[in-house]
Amino acid sequence: MARKDLLDIASLHREEIEFLLDQSTSFKKLFTRSVKKIPALEGKSVLMLFYEASTRTHSSFEVAAKRLSAEVTNFNVDHSSITKGESVRETIETLQAMRTDYIVVRHGHSGLPGMIARQTTASVINAGDGAHEHPTQALLDAFTIKEKFPDPRGKKVLIIGDILHSRVARSTSTLLQKLGVEVAYLGPGSLVPKYVPASIRRFTDYEAAMTWAPDVVYLLRVQMERQDVQFFPSVREYHRVYGITNTRLAEIRDRGLYIMHPGPVNRGVELCDAVMDYERSLITNQVENGISIRMAVLDWLTPGGEFPRQEAYAAQQRTSPPVIVP
Amino acid sequence: MLLLQNARIATENSPVLLEGDVLIVEGKIQDIGKSLAIPEGARIIDARGRILMPGMFDAHVHFRAPGFENKETITTGSEAAINGGVTGVVMMPNTRPALDSATAIATVLENATHRSRIPVYTSGCVTKNREGKELAEIEGMRTLGVKMLTDDGDTTADPAVLLRAMQYATEFGMFFASHCEVPELAGPRALNEGVMSYRLGIKGSPACAEEIIIDRDIRLARAAGAHVHIQHVSSKLGMETIRWWKSRGDVKVTAEVAPHHLMFTDEHIGDYDTNYKMNPPLRTQADCDALLEGLKEGVFDLIATDHAPHTPFEKAQDFISAPNGITGLDTALVSLYHHFVEPGKFGWDLVVKRYSAEPRRLMGLPVAAIEVGQPADCLLFDTEAETTFTREFMKSKSQNTPFIDQTLKGRVDMVILGAEILLER
Repeated sequence: MARKDLLDIASLHREEIEFLLDQSTSFKKLFTRSVKKIPALEGKSVLMLFYEASTRTHSSFEVAAKRLSAEVTNFNVDHSSITKGESVRETIETLQAMRTDYIVVRHGHSGLPGMIARQTTASVINAGDGAHEHPTQALLDAFTIKEKFPDPRGKKVLIIGDILHSRVARSTSTLLQKLGVEVAYLGPGSLVPKYVPASIRRFTDYEAAMTWAPDVVYLLRVQMERQDVQFFPSVREYHRVYGITNTRLAEIRDRGLYIMHPGPVNRGVELCDAVMDYERSLITNQVENGISIRMAVLDWLTPGGEFPRQEAYAAQQRTSPPVIVP
Repeated sequence: MLLLQNARIATENSPVLLEGDVLIVEGKIQDIGKSLAIPEGARIIDARGRILMPGMFDAHVHFRAPGFENKETITTGSEAAINGGVTGVVMMPNTRPALDSATAIATVLENATHRSRIPVYTSGCVTKNREGKELAEIEGMRTLGVKMLTDDGDTTADPAVLLRAMQYATEFGMFFASHCEVPELAGPRALNEGVMSYRLGIKGSPACAEEIIIDRDIRLARAAGAHVHIQHVSSKLGMETIRWWKSRGDVKVTAEVAPHHLMFTDEHIGDYDTNYKMNPPLRTQADCDALLEGLKEGVFDLIATDHAPHTPFEKAQDFISAPNGITGLDTALVSLYHHFVEPGKFGWDLVVKRYSAEPRRLMGLPVAAIEVGQPADCLLFDTEAETTFTREFMKSKSQNTPFIDQTLKGRVDMVILGAEILLER
């Protein structure tokens, strides 16, 4: 059942998801012990390849790998030859030569982890690629929800915000639906594409979305850095129309809804400060569960598998004219 | 002297294939008829079962020279053309330097004379360095035979600049070819906006980015009394916009469609296959169906490949980093046969009309016809054979095509131009 890589949620089978969530439960039990480390990946090497800034995901993977006794190397993109114009593909060739066992990669370009996976023997874990997928985030979200709703079938999760640019929305909605959870999107018309899958309800009005009676409200970070044009008039207006205001928090408290957010939070934009103290906020739980999920993923994957397009890739290399580095 | 015996002859005017012998003497068609007498010294080709048709003409190719010879040269590009049964091409001017002056055009044409076995024509830029600001030296390019003006790949953004260019150049009998795209809407990714762009997490280019400029440029041409040629249409509504303007009859508009936009949809991109990354992007099956309908109706005057070579190194990047474009010359005719003629969706007459005769008419060139007295410009096509598009088979310097390693029905067996046999398999 083990795989070489974890690149997306879309291709995961339900059994695989259930297995990873179960394993995560076991690993989480270690957290209460005085010695949290086990030798599962002793002698294995994990390379962290983060082309985009990250605090939570990066440190979460690092902690997870170390708790499994793996060696962790941080590939510092700022100090690498990438700044001298080296392409990602050349970097991959260098990394392949190092024979690392795992590569945890984050990149702003959708599909790039898949490209790396096809060209290395290492197990590649997608830690977020563009607006495509963020599979371990989805798994930790599902794990967090299952802690509150052991049988989540029929539960409703309302994802609010910038769906267009969000890999979290794509991965988490796909995974939750695989577990029988109903998912709806809410956000400005400019940020909730009209062509989202028909299985996901689409709201542009907060009140209408609340009438749908969600069990969990999942807020997405407004990603100003990805917005090359203006998608809504101001953050003040965004907060008023789509954010969890103090008034709306009172209603959420009355209804007993859970609140989630993948972090980092833009306070005063997606949510008011008071949400951080709300007893049904699961934001900290998500961070904690990230470690056990990532331990489960690292433990599950099997490095050293084949890389399917290597032969085609080598053939291309043979016929390639002299390389001009762009 | 060449005698092709028992060929089936395709023409642009009839779906029915004529049968007979064709005698070529000193590069000219001297006789056509049943069971022609065999002249002394003639080489006899048994063409039984094969189709003889005029050489194709591609009015939209990128030969990358000068400036990007690592992708293609005039020699490799024209050999790719011959490999696919194409005996004449029009280069686009997005070279480095851009073809925006008589000097630049003269250099390319001089090179083509020595480095190509087929006629290579070139278009010229509308504006200097394709920047959309200052008009290029249009009349100077005309004196060297340039007829088509285009800022290829970059829509001339300022409508006032394009209108002025149209008013000026129409006086010299030149016409405008438009790559239709509002860049602010299209973005840089070359993926259709839709279900697939959501799934892949890449910001898509909506079809309206194309439709707006199709409409804009036709309106500008109407205002200037100019002839505008709309390049590589990809969308249903784009086709319908052209159809509507043509039905009015008060503006000269022609249009082309590329084989890949008839054959592939954005679903083919699958797991970020950069061989399907092109601009305008592949759209939906409904768009493909509409484009085919437009081709059969004559909304599209011609088929052109937008042959756009890129090195394996460039295309082997991730989808977002890889450049737009696919090669087309090696594969166009066989793929048109495989996908459309063989399954009965259209006949050889359409292929000859849209990929041989009309492109030559657009350029003001004599049409290659298999008629007595005409220069020999023709090819033999075997409908029973197959072609496997291996890297070794392709003559283009780049092989960025979805057809790589695919086997399709049909094969270009022989290409004849004047007194020369350019290709013989």
